[in-house]
Formats: sequence, C-alpha cells, structure tokens
Amino acid sequence: MAGLRTGGLKRYYDVNGWLFIAPALALISIFLVYPIIRSLVLSFYSGKGMMMRFAGFGNIERLASDPVFLAALTNTVVFFVVQVPIMIMLALILASVLNNPDLRFKGFFRTAIFLPCVSSLVAYSVLFKSMFAVDGVVNSALVALGLVEVPIPWLTDPFWAKVLIILALTWRWTGYNMIFYLAALQNIDKSIYEAARIDGVPSWGRFLYITIPMLKPVILFTTIVSTIGTIQLFDEVYNLTEGRGGPANSTITLSLYIYNLTFRYMPSFGYAATISYVIVVMVAVLSFLQFYAARDRS
Amino acid sequence: MDMSRYLRKFAAAAAAGVSLFAATASWAGEITIWCWDPNFNVAIMKEAGARYTAKHPETTINIVDFAKADVEQKLQTALSSGTSDALPDIVLIEDYGAQKYLQSFPGAFAELSGKVDFSGFAPYKVQLMTLDDKVYGMPFDSGVTGMYFRKDYLEQAGFKPEDMQNITWDRFIEIGKEVEAKTGKKMMGLDVNDAGFIRILMQSGGQWYFDDEGNLNIENNAALKAALETEQKILQAGIHKPAAGWTEWVSTFTSGDVATVITGVWITGTVKAQADQAGKWGVAPIPKLDIEGARHASNLGGSSWYVLESSDVKDEAIDFLNEIYAKDVDFYQKILVDRGAVGSLLAARTGPAYEQADDFFGGEKVWQNFSDWLAQVPSVNYGVFTNEVDTAVTANLADLAKGAPVDEILKKIHSQAEGQMQ
Repeated sequence: MAGLRTGGLKRYYDVNGWLFIAPALALISIFLVYPIIRSLVLSFYSGKGMMMRFAGFGNIERLASDPVFLAALTNTVVFFVVQVPIMIMLALILASVLNNPDLRFKGFFRTAIFLPCVSSLVAYSVLFKSMFAVDGVVNSALVALGLVEVPIPWLTDPFWAKVLIILALTWRWTGYNMIFYLAALQNIDKSIYEAARIDGVPSWGRFLYITIPMLKPVILFTTIVSTIGTIQLFDEVYNLTEGRGGPANSTITLSLYIYNLTFRYMPSFGYAATISYVIVVMVAVLSFLQFYAARDRS
Repeated sequence: MDMSRYLRKFAAAAAAGVSLFAATASWAGEITIWCWDPNFNVAIMKEAGARYTAKHPETTINIVDFAKADVEQKLQTALSSGTSDALPDIVLIEDYGAQKYLQSFPGAFAELSGKVDFSGFAPYKVQLMTLDDKVYGMPFDSGVTGMYFRKDYLEQAGFKPEDMQNITWDRFIEIGKEVEAKTGKKMMGLDVNDAGFIRILMQSGGQWYFDDEGNLNIENNAALKAALETEQKILQAGIHKPAAGWTEWVSTFTSGDVATVITGVWITGTVKAQADQAGKWGVAPIPKLDIEGARHASNLGGSSWYVLESSDVKDEAIDFLNEIYAKDVDFYQKILVDRGAVGSLLAARTGPAYEQADDFFGGEKVWQNFSDWLAQVPSVNYGVFTNEVDTAVTANLADLAKGAPVDEILKKIHSQAEGQMQ
C-alpha cells in the first residue's frame, strides 16, 4: 500500500496538515492578503470616484505638494511624540504606586483609572466637548481658581485644540497601559527589591534600576502598541472636531484625512490608499526602531 | 439541477410581461428610502409615503433613518464597490454634494428629465442636479436664508422691526454695537470653525467657489472677498458670540444670548421650539453685501431626492416622487405647517399655508416672505469640490479673526484648495 511507504506517509501528513489550515488560509487570503495587494494597486490610480485611470507615481508626487497631507503628517507625529511618552510614564508611575501593598482602596483606584478605556468613545467625546466648551466646567473651574484670566479657547484655538486631543487620549489610554505594568510587576521577584533595600538603594533608585529594566519587554510592547494606535488616531479627533480636524487643520490626522478623502470629499480612493501606505511605512519603521533601541546588548 | 429556481425566474419573467400589458401602473414593489433627521426629512417622507400609498395601496414605502454622515458613507461605499444590492431605491443627498455623486458615479442615478416637469421648481435647485443637460433629482427643501431677530432686544436698543428690513452688513454691525451697549447681548452666534456664514454671504453676492465651468474661483471672487471682509469686520467688532460646533451655535439663540440668527429657513422649527420666546421674534431678509449684483437672498444647505438606476422598482419610485413632490401642492402646505419645510416647488407658494400669519412671529406672514426670497436666490454652480474648498476656507478662519489681510487669505485658500482638487 502506497500510504505505508515513508515518502507516502510524509505526503499523507503534509496533505492533512494543509487541509487543516486551508480554511484559515483561504479566509486570510480573501480578507487580508487580497485587500492589501488590491489597495497597493489602487494607490497607483487616481480620478474622481469610479472614473479611475492609471497614474503611476502621481499620487506620491501629490503627497509632497498637498498642504493638508503635510499638516496631517505633522499633527500625527506631534501627537505620538508628545502623547506616547507622557502616557507611558504616567502609566508606569501609577502602576508602581498602585502596586504598593500598603495602599488602601487599591481595587477602587485601579478600576477608576482603567474605566475610561472601556467607556464608550462617543459618550466620552461628547462629554469632553461640553466640559471643554468656552463656558464649560473646565474653564469655569480654572477661572474660579484664578489659574487663568480668560477662558481657554480649547476647541477654537489651534494650539489648545491639540492639547485637548492629547489630554483626551491620555485620559482614555493611561489606565489601559497601567494594567499591563501592574500585571508585569506581579512577576518581579520581591527578593530583588528586598536585596536592594538592604543595600540601601533609595526608592527612586529601585524604581529606576530595578522596576524599569525588569519591565522592559512590557514597556516595549506598550510603546509599540500605543505608537501604532496614535499613528492611526481617528475616533477622538473625528468626534471632538465633528470630523473636520479643525480649527485650521490643527488636529487633522492621517486617518481622518483618509476618511475625508473617501467619504467627505470627492472620493479619491487611489490617493487615500497611498496615504494608508504612508501609515504602514511609518508603523513599520517606528516599530523597527523601537525594537532596535530596546534590543538585548549582551 | 435546481428546477424551482428556474420556475421562479420564469414566473417572474411572466409577471414582468403581464405588467407590460397593464394599462395603468399597478406596481406592487417595496420602495426603500434612505434619509436623515427624524423630525424633518424622515417625517416628511413618511407623510409623502402615506399620501402615495393611500392612492396606490399595493406599494410599500420603507423609510430607513440614518445620521447624515452614515447615509453618505454607506452610499459612497456601496456605489464604489459596485454592489447594488446594498443600495436603497431613493436616497436623500445634500445639494452641495449632488454634483460630486453625479460625476464620480456616472450611471448610478436615474435620469428624471422628461418624466418630471422641472419648470415648476426654483431654477437654482434644478441647476445643481443637472449634468450634461440631463436632470437627475427631485428638488426637495430649500435652504433659503433669512434673518431672525429678537424684537424685544432690538427695541431696548432703540430699533423697530422696520429698521431691520433691507439693511447692509455695515448697518448690521452698527446696530450690533448699539444692541450690545444697551442690552449686553451679542448680535449673533458665529461658529468660528465653520464656513457656513461665508457661503451664505458669497451666494448672496451671486458667486461660488467655482465659475460656471467648474474652475476654481477664489482670488478674483468679489463676493467671497466681500464675505470674508464682512466676517472679519464682525469678528473685530466683537458683536458675535463664538461657538464651537453646531450644538453650541444653536444654544446661542435658544438660550436667548443673541439678538439675531442668520441661516436657512429649516432652522424655523428650532427657533419655534422655544415656546417662552413666542412673539419675540421677527423675520427680515438677510443684509446685503456692498458689491454689484448682491441680493438680500441666499441659500444654506437644502437637499433633494435621487432615484438609484439599479433599483428594481425604479419606475415606481420615480412615479412616487413625481406624484407627491412635483404635483401635490397640498402636501407642501402640510409639511410647511408641521415641519417648517419650505419646498422648492414654486406652485406651492400659492397654497393657503403660505398665506397664514404665524403667531410665534407676532402675526407676520413669514412663509410668504421666505418664498418671495426663494425666487430671488442667485443661481450658482456648486461644482464637485465644495467640501474641499470649504475645508480650505475653514482652515484660514483663525487667521481671518486675527486680522490678516483678506487678499492674503484668499491666496492661501486658493493654494490649499488647488492641492485638494485633483
């Protein structure tokens, strides 16, 4: 019998193996590989809606001379360069504070800080909008406390609008990152801290030289995830600025611009696909850099 | 193989054949309609559907209520993917976007010229849905603009309602300063991130972002320049209450913080919703720009119905729209009274509801006024890139507020818009 020969047996297992993964493979090909290739092809076409023609590198040339794209790119970079480090540090500090065994109401604080990231995005955007309105709660509080003379134009000034987006992002995602650190902190051997304490290392030193190095893989992971998330930033900006990325394009992001190019403006699918590849390239390069910076030097 | 499927197909073909021989249209389809705003478009379409099905009981009208952005997104996605199954039979499209859809998805919408008498509608409305001399939509509501004003505030400042009629923008600003000095109220709410006010002024000057050929018309656009200058004067005079976004803007007048509202007639329902302000409001035509050919009439927003070419009940849908929206004058009286909708069918103006005085506005015949202004709205070419140029204008409003020279702002708008129009 053919199936009993060694070569045949190998083929028998091969065929079986492929058969098992075939459904998954087929689904991935149809819903992942094909769209990726198709959008790459699409990025070489331009035109109005369905009236598309081959444009070669026309879309890439258009990128360079498109002030809105450049604004979106700059904003996106500003958002992750400023927001990701603030949030990661905040999450680290909160995690190590909440990891303190002597702290009371730990469960309450942990839940309270984690809660924003499970709250509905639209609900929180609407809430932020009313809180940060010119005569909203935040401005009233700031004026009452004497911290500012006149209300801050959170949503109508280009600078403050960026600040507001960063605040909103930080509020929502800090707790999410903190949970990762809390979990990782449980895995650090208590005896390391004990040894350090006996050697007289102050608490900030223990944090800096024990906690952070021990958390390095998790920090790397959260940084990459946060960076990717911020580069793809869409929901917060869309909801807070009514889909415009205003004032004066100061909060428009690459994803929001892709959305506008596809659904708000004259549909320009090719150009939108080109910009989506800009995001792909950015994410790939940044992830590589972060892996490289955090590699083991041993 | 599957005989029942062939049988069904055969039966359908036979039924289609029979219906060809039927003398009158006896359809039995379901017309699916997409639109937004349950208090306005959806409610009005329900009224239209009820009127049609009363005469044609075999027809079912199915109205699907989405948010406006969702209607546009779903429509654009379905049209670009080419799957007509996902599409409705009739869809509501805002006028600014009409040409965008007609030009980027040729063949997607059914041509209505020849089936509907378009001479009865406001000309500007028909023009915006015409492509290559073919008309594709059923004109619906108008965004004819007016100036709603608080008679009580103006009286305190020493102005009578007559003083608000047919004024210029400079006079408007003078009055605004008086009003603030005497009552402490601002003259108007202004959404500082929105170009809607600029569009009202520009169209009242008879121009748009584009010329008749669809070319960008920014740097030599006298109406746009005058519009920007006017907004700058208002911003610098500080007679406005700044608002960020629609909700805040609406609350400027619902809360009684401002003396005037300048916008499309569709806001009437919202103004009248404040029952405690009854009798305090008056209506006047919008102030006029100081350029040649400018009028006291303009338009903001407004939308129209479109039938999808791929619809399997296309003829039935067209007949429905034609019978109600192009012929039923009584229908327009009903939606005016119930919803404050000013249709663009000119014959509707002669109906009784337009003659009625409105107690909320102190017994003025406001509807007659709006329909008079409707006939005066300058016809302009909305083109296909209104959203793009609008973004460019909005992006420069912050500089405008800071007092940058208008010519410079026009240049910036031009260069950003140019980059977008490809």
